[in-house]
Amino acid sequence: MCAQTDVVETNSDRDAATIRLDELAKHYGEVTANDAVSFDVHAGEIFGYLGPNGAGKTTTIRLLLGLINPTSGTADVLGADIHDRRALTEVKADIGYLPDSLGFEERLTGQQVLDYFARMRGDERRAELLELFRPPLEKPVETYSHGNKRMLGIVQAFMHDPTLAILDEPTSGLDPLKQDRLHAFLENERDAGKTIFFSSHVLSEVQRVCDRVGIIREGELVALENIDDLLERGGKDVRVHLAEPVDEERFTTPAMIDVETVDRTVRFTYTGEANALLAHLARFDVEDVDIGDPQLDDIFKHYYGGSTLGETG
Amino acid sequence: MTAILRLESRKRVRGSVVLIVVFAVLAALYFSMFPGIQEEMDVFDDAFPEYMFDMFGIEDLHTIEGFIAAELYSFFWSLLLAIYFAYVGAGLIASDVQERRMDLTLSNPVSRESVVLQKVAALWVPLVALNVGVPIIVYVGALVIGESFNPVALAMVHLLSIPYLLVCAGIGVVLSVVVDRVRRARSTALTLVFALWLVDSVSRIDLDYEWIGTLTPSRYYEETDILVHEEYAFLDAGLLLAVFLVLIVVATVVFTRRDI
Repeated sequence: MCAQTDVVETNSDRDAATIRLDELAKHYGEVTANDAVSFDVHAGEIFGYLGPNGAGKTTTIRLLLGLINPTSGTADVLGADIHDRRALTEVKADIGYLPDSLGFEERLTGQQVLDYFARMRGDERRAELLELFRPPLEKPVETYSHGNKRMLGIVQAFMHDPTLAILDEPTSGLDPLKQDRLHAFLENERDAGKTIFFSSHVLSEVQRVCDRVGIIREGELVALENIDDLLERGGKDVRVHLAEPVDEERFTTPAMIDVETVDRTVRFTYTGEANALLAHLARFDVEDVDIGDPQLDDIFKHYYGGSTLGETG
Repeated sequence: MTAILRLESRKRVRGSVVLIVVFAVLAALYFSMFPGIQEEMDVFDDAFPEYMFDMFGIEDLHTIEGFIAAELYSFFWSLLLAIYFAYVGAGLIASDVQERRMDLTLSNPVSRESVVLQKVAALWVPLVALNVGVPIIVYVGALVIGESFNPVALAMVHLLSIPYLLVCAGIGVVLSVVVDRVRRARSTALTLVFALWLVDSVSRIDLDYEWIGTLTPSRYYEETDILVHEEYAFLDAGLLLAVFLVLIVVATVVFTRRDI
């Protein structure tokens, strides 16, 4: 009975996979940009592809879109094998892509750029998107700020209502308000059944919007987890400046790791709940406190060491 | 799926207009000169060594056909325009790859073959604009100074130049898919086209070496033969057209296989 259920689940998982990477590798001479990366992105989820700059995120995305050829391994995107150029070209009608560096025809206005893409794949949601993201459409793209280009990129990526959106660092260059707007928009899309593949080097962003996350470092997939697990592992970087020196023993709780005390300043990574931390801190005479996201590199160091996925599992 | 063709065609308009203006100015210059120097052409014949005339295929400078063939077509059309087409061809793919425009273009449901073909097809704009605009300018210009051209020969000097210009563009397109940096693709293409033209010209000086020029595209487009002798080498034009098609097939095959 149990075994049967497992089989059924595996099959439905397989059907639901929107993107499947199978030992996908890309080498540039001696440099390994992607090293046998395997994972699935399921239909209707926001999948975060997290890694520091230069980890190989863009390489994976460009492999999936057939822009570069894999050295070995393969991948399916919406059922099309990336080696099958014809099939991949066909499914692109259902894919929205936001590249990390946006190459538009600089002399065209935003309006003309959208018209151009609309002729190739439709634009039934253009008006709706332009209410959320408002690049100055009447101006030539060459006059656009980084943020305006990004907004134009977001509109073109979603205006044909794709079932799969592949977004490479989508919030870079956007102001915080627009970032929140994009995050909310992505959640709505996910709730409407769309699949979002989302690369980022910002942990907090991935924690906020993604359902599952794959972590890539130096071309290798080092972890693949549900976001709740990552939240537990993530923690916060906390720096507390106290009015007077404090006994480290008395100050430290089990949720604090890597505690460093220098005179009246305590630095640590907090892995527990925010409320508990605030309640704890209130018992001390705190002059200043700084709570921030940990650096990705720190997380890697703490949780994944130099090891691969297999070794951490 | 003609969005790329439409956009690329638009991008070719400005250059085509500029070139027509350049040829209009050149034509005005030469037509205004011709009546004054027509009688002195014998002096030219004596002043310059024979090989200069061989090199540029110059004959009958005292006739309007020979004069315009020598001044306008043998240099500005066969070399400068050829270089323009090589330059444009070299930019077609390489500049989009370098500026990352190709990433977005290929995120559309459009094949790489179609991208190359639509971009090449957009060369219709300068081809039609120049080959309609310039002969009209030349024909009317001749009438203004009281001369006249055989309209068939004038039409042929343009029609038969199209395969030649396409070969030059094709050389550029091949370099455009092979070379990543657009500046290098363009400079290589125009150097190559210039070198081929030079080899053809220089090889004409000595009969023993004339065969070397048979490997150059300009050998298959003889403006003086067309305008002065009214000889139309359709077979040569067909050969150039075949070479152009081969170059485009090569470029397409390379482009569909490479990383961008």
